[in-house]
Amino acid sequence: MATGASAPERIVEAEDLRRRYGEGEAAVDALARVTVAFPGGRFAAIMGPSGSGKSTLMHILAGLDRPTSGVVRIGGVELTELGDRELTQLRRDRIGFIFQTFNLLPVLNARENILLPLSIAGRKPDQEWFDVLVDTVGIRDRLTHRPAELSGGQQQRVAVARALISRPTVLFADEPSGNLDSKASNDVLELLRHAVDDFGQTVVMVTHDAHAASFADRLLVLADGRIVHDGAAVSSEQALDLMKSVG
Amino acid sequence: MLSLVLRGFMQRKLRVLLTGIAIALGVALMAGTYILTDTINRSFAGIFNVANRGHDVVITPRQSLGRNTRSQTSPVTEQVLAQVRATPGVAEAAGSIFTPGAFLDIHGKRLTVGGAPAFIGSEVPRRFESFTVAHGRFASSASEVAIDEATANRNHLKLGEQMVVAGSAPARPYTIVGILRFGGGQSFGGAGAAILTLREAQRVLAQPGHFDQIDVAAQPSVSANALRDRIRAVLPATLDVRTGAQQAAKDTSDLESNLSFIRTFLLVFAYVALVVGAFIIFNTFSITVAQRTREFGLLRTLGGSRRQILQSVIYEGLLLGVGGAVLGLLGGLVLAPGLNALFKAFGADLPHNGTVVETRTIVVSLVVGTVVTLLAGLPPALRATRVPPLAAMREGVEIPRTMPSRRAILIRAAVGIALLIVLRLLLGGGVALAGLAIIVAVRALFVARRLRRGDRPRRYRVVPALARGIGALVAWRGITGRLAQENSMRQPGRTMITAAALTVGLALVAFVAVLAAGTKATINQAVSRSFAGNLIVENSQEGNREQGIPALLAPSVRKVPGVASVTPIAFTAGRLRGSSSNVTITAIDPATFERVYRVEWKSKNGSNATLLGLGNEGVVLTKAYAESKHLKLGQTISVLTPTEKHVSLAVRGIASDNARLLGNLTITLSLARASFGQREDALDFVSYAPGASNAQVQPAVNRLLAASFPQARSRTAAQFKQDQSNQINTLLALIYVLLALSVIVSLFGIVNTLILSIYERTRELGMLRAIGTSRKQIRQMIRYESVITALIGGVFGLVIGVVGAILVTTLTLSGSGYVQSIPVGTLAILLVVAALAGLVAAQLPARRAARLDMLQALASE
Repeated sequence: MATGASAPERIVEAEDLRRRYGEGEAAVDALARVTVAFPGGRFAAIMGPSGSGKSTLMHILAGLDRPTSGVVRIGGVELTELGDRELTQLRRDRIGFIFQTFNLLPVLNARENILLPLSIAGRKPDQEWFDVLVDTVGIRDRLTHRPAELSGGQQQRVAVARALISRPTVLFADEPSGNLDSKASNDVLELLRHAVDDFGQTVVMVTHDAHAASFADRLLVLADGRIVHDGAAVSSEQALDLMKSVG
Repeated sequence: MLSLVLRGFMQRKLRVLLTGIAIALGVALMAGTYILTDTINRSFAGIFNVANRGHDVVITPRQSLGRNTRSQTSPVTEQVLAQVRATPGVAEAAGSIFTPGAFLDIHGKRLTVGGAPAFIGSEVPRRFESFTVAHGRFASSASEVAIDEATANRNHLKLGEQMVVAGSAPARPYTIVGILRFGGGQSFGGAGAAILTLREAQRVLAQPGHFDQIDVAAQPSVSANALRDRIRAVLPATLDVRTGAQQAAKDTSDLESNLSFIRTFLLVFAYVALVVGAFIIFNTFSITVAQRTREFGLLRTLGGSRRQILQSVIYEGLLLGVGGAVLGLLGGLVLAPGLNALFKAFGADLPHNGTVVETRTIVVSLVVGTVVTLLAGLPPALRATRVPPLAAMREGVEIPRTMPSRRAILIRAAVGIALLIVLRLLLGGGVALAGLAIIVAVRALFVARRLRRGDRPRRYRVVPALARGIGALVAWRGITGRLAQENSMRQPGRTMITAAALTVGLALVAFVAVLAAGTKATINQAVSRSFAGNLIVENSQEGNREQGIPALLAPSVRKVPGVASVTPIAFTAGRLRGSSSNVTITAIDPATFERVYRVEWKSKNGSNATLLGLGNEGVVLTKAYAESKHLKLGQTISVLTPTEKHVSLAVRGIASDNARLLGNLTITLSLARASFGQREDALDFVSYAPGASNAQVQPAVNRLLAASFPQARSRTAAQFKQDQSNQINTLLALIYVLLALSVIVSLFGIVNTLILSIYERTRELGMLRAIGTSRKQIRQMIRYESVITALIGGVFGLVIGVVGAILVTTLTLSGSGYVQSIPVGTLAILLVVAALAGLVAAQLPARRAARLDMLQALASE
């Protein structure tokens, strides 16, 4: 684990997480006693084979799903004690999302999609920050276009800007490069890297792509609902080997 | 295939239920109409059977002008009775009276309800009597009366109390000596009967020596038919002679034809609801076919033929149609008493004993429900057959489009015409129009479908523009309003058809509202222009224009201080030689008429002097009638009167009358009394002496009416206008209630479309929730979307209804003095109602959307 001189604050913490599906003999533990913490300003990648529990972990960390037992804290707030309304508000104000399938609203143009989280919150956009983001992701000339008129890479870059517009405490990315070709994929991953390095953004990314994981600072590997590896990021070849050893 | 369809149904219970209800409501109104009207008819048949029980032969006046007409002077006289009694084989014969009049309590309140008749009758010998005594006895002196149990109970009248019976003679009080029960114990609905002694009944109705009918019993050795033939041979042709059974059948069929308008009236609304239901089925099937493109593609890949795909969708329609129709039929059983209560609330309390479900009701309901569903589902089913196998592999494969071939168009036209013929045969001419409406609507669906296909997306300008405009009203409310606005423009075709269902109902409401406003304005203007008098005296019975006022009334009112003149008006009917339809005839008193009423004369076609010289051989025609029959001044026409006389009349004048007081023909009152058997008047126009004030004269007139003619009331022109307007409002309210059903049906359509759209947008909604949209915001978004759709339907409906009403009235009523009036307030309320309807429809879908399982929504694939 990275413990620098400044000892960064633990932005996301999970203690003893368990998520059980089904009951009795048919019960399956998607997560079995997982304890993990993500310090601020770092880029973590979570890998694991299908069914390893990596998506479940991310959903629970992001307040989309509830653990069977255990505690999750984001910025010191205990998620497990929040009702739907508070949880929704927390997602709105403190969490950013990037999805594999972009999930932009087809009826809104790029600008409106980026500003959507602020619109939902009923807040005024910070024009300066908006400009910085638009230039960073490089879609200034496409702002009035609707998603159907954008390429996959462009759509995902809009999605990155949307995730960052509300300056979230943490950004969760679920296979952000899964639906992109290698060029667009690299662009998006570099954007995430950039967000961590230049904006101090905390990023947690779930992926099964070793190349994508190589952009992170830290690599966690899950298998059968447990963390089987937690260490500094490695090259994609090493990551692949690691995956083979658990898969 | 069928099991696949059934399994699909189980998985989509809610949608199936909603769609089924859309068709079931229309069927329910149809079945309810049949059940109610059959029940009423059967009840009357029962009443007439009892009324004619024990009568071997019945003698009544001949209805020379056809069914449901009667002369006010009965040709059934003492002399006829003597002739009958002298006929061999007659055991007993008696004359009787049974005529609508009025009875009231001693404070002047009517004892019957709404427009239901109050019969004044006479006691008849035991063997003919259909009433039995429940308490007390029959009247034995001129000051006594026996009344039916229902009327007594409803008004808490007891033996020994007083009531007033009003006919043609000045009214007087009677002591109640008997409470009577009708033979079979049947309900009369709101009607009642007061039985006097024969002499008193004749005196009250100013018909001494006359009867309404003669009842005859045969000697045991003579059959009813034989006796009828014998009596027939000795009586004049102005009398009808029937056996008791024949008379009961004749009474029943007269009544059925009299009430047939109720059935037609209600069926029109049922068909409107069915058309709206068809829209919903079409839309639901279109959306689900689009959503199941992959499934159909897979079936095709696995070797399913187009025919099988078609079958699977048609089976779905068939099951839905049969299910909806059965549900509707059951709903009809529930609705029938509801409809009866509705009519009762609007003043028509008709007898209904038991519940009659004819085979015809079941067959027609099931067939119509199923066929409408199948027809509406056919276009989407055909579309499903064009799904290419490739659709299984890829997302977003478009269904190829084909323009209909000439053959297809011919087939459609043939199907349409065949449907119209079937409807006509099945339901009679009155409903053929509704059938035509269905065909036009189906045609519109085809056109709409062609529009939907988007070969020319540019044609879709109105709906998105409207959605944008209406959406702007909510878009300022923030992102939820803005998204709702965008979502409603997303698939203009779908939004349009969903809105169209609401449009149908609202267009009719707007149409009727504009027509009613125009009619009121027209009446107001006509009364203001034409009526120059101060008071109108009329019968106070609501909603029954056939009840007149005694002829004695005019001379009595003339004596009231401050009254300068009274001119009576009477309405009768006649038939021109060689014609099979009746003309309306207004009878006036020429000497006084022109002083209180302004007739519009065109140049040489006559003047008020024409009226003064009308005499008993002259007639004035209305301009419209004269033109339609090509009649000119100076021509002579021969008119058959209700008393079966032929009178020759010379056309002395041709007049215009926007107030429509004048019938096709206008004659003198003295001619009407002499040759048309007219004894009553319809209205008296009263004008005051110079200097007399209404504040003094009207109360004096009212005192006279209360004392001697309690069935009448006086109205100033303003009150008269208000009465007319109230009557129109009552009818309007009834129509609104019935059209509300169609609006409710269209709500199910909105619910259905929203649910299906939400299903399509699962992922979007999941994302919105994930990035922090609250449940409340999601609900709000769906509600706004629903309101926008409803308002689009509302705006279209209002425009179509208003433009339609203006067109129709301009085309058919131009030159008749029709005054156009747009009820802006009512139309504004309609829009609010449409918006509220949208809100109501959104409740369930909004809740479903808000409760969406985020993780499932976000899961890829």
